[in-house]
Amino acid sequence: MDAIMGKARQKIQLEEIFVKYKPIVTFRVKKSLGAFNPDSEDVANEIITNVIEKIKKGEFRGESSVGTFIYTITSRRIIDYIRQKSKVLKHVPEPASYPAPEEQIENKERAEMIAAAIKKLKPKYREVLYLYYYKDFSREEVAQKLGISPRRVSERVNYSQKLLKKLIKT
Amino acid sequence: MRNCKFEEMIDKYLLNRLTEDEKNTLEEHYFNCPSCFEKIVERDELVAAIKYKGQEIFKDEYVAEAAKGETWWEKVTSFLTPKQWTTAAVSAALIAVIVFGVLPMLKPTAPQFYINEDEVRGSKITLISPIWESETVPSKFEWKKMGEDVEYKIYIYDNGNVVWEQPTVENFIILPENIKKSLASGQKYSWQVKAFSSEGTLISVSSRVEFKVHNPE
Repeated sequence: MDAIMGKARQKIQLEEIFVKYKPIVTFRVKKSLGAFNPDSEDVANEIITNVIEKIKKGEFRGESSVGTFIYTITSRRIIDYIRQKSKVLKHVPEPASYPAPEEQIENKERAEMIAAAIKKLKPKYREVLYLYYYKDFSREEVAQKLGISPRRVSERVNYSQKLLKKLIKT
Repeated sequence: MRNCKFEEMIDKYLLNRLTEDEKNTLEEHYFNCPSCFEKIVERDELVAAIKYKGQEIFKDEYVAEAAKGETWWEKVTSFLTPKQWTTAAVSAALIAVIVFGVLPMLKPTAPQFYINEDEVRGSKITLISPIWESETVPSKFEWKKMGEDVEYKIYIYDNGNVVWEQPTVENFIILPENIKKSLASGQKYSWQVKAFSSEGTLISVSSRVEFKVHNPE
């Protein structure tokens, strides 16, 4: 009876872990392998499955947080993947040219929405976003160009994000 | 809202500006901090949208920038960083001080300071003759030449009153007969030379030297 209850509880916990960490693992993998790498999705799935199995086998002993445990497994798998690929790539011609920037966006609809919202912002906020993210200036350079403090640049970016959230919701 | 110290690293992470160690630290952190992870995803969407649609979103900024262009002043100022500008300014000031301040002082002629007409500190005119008591009325007054383009003025005093004065560009003067005659025998007079630059500034004053006149008559 106790064993059955234990099993049930563990199942719920594993589901929670899956729901909570799948997006984080996927994000991390895509950042390293590229969002358009066809392998990214597979690698992320493989990692999260591996994590669940390890926990089932009792390999997670609480020596670190669950987060760090999963982070370590994720990082190792990514390093393995890159190592494998670079070995293979020695014998394989370079992949075709990178996808054009237009195709380099995962969620086009979401991007369109954000773009439309940015257009509604005041110039004060737009110029910070423009210089910082589009023109790729450092925070200090943006501050210098606009004659404000670097701290203020961050504040404006953060506030822009809040405004955008509101604009997108309504 | 709770602020996490890692939040400041988020932009740098998304813009690939972290070192490998910092990147690892932040990555481990967001596996443990749902709030940071949420912020990273949100910010990532924003950056992606801007990179993807930037040209369209910032049409106005493009126009403004093109209209403004980079003015010559911005071109000049962005040529060096503020730090480099400071260094350049300091060096320029130093050179200016050397060229205008120190070098003129190294010239062979000593600087001259004027307190009033008769007192000049600095180079003096050296009188040559007559500097001793003269038997006869001296007819030639001579002093040491001071340089080119210097004008002199000779003064003859009787007890402090000027009895005769005459400008000249030579470093000597011949006393005219009528003046010679007007000087009383046995009386003490004194003479002095002042030097002026071509612009008329007083540059030097000699000391006053007495001479006694014995008229032959």
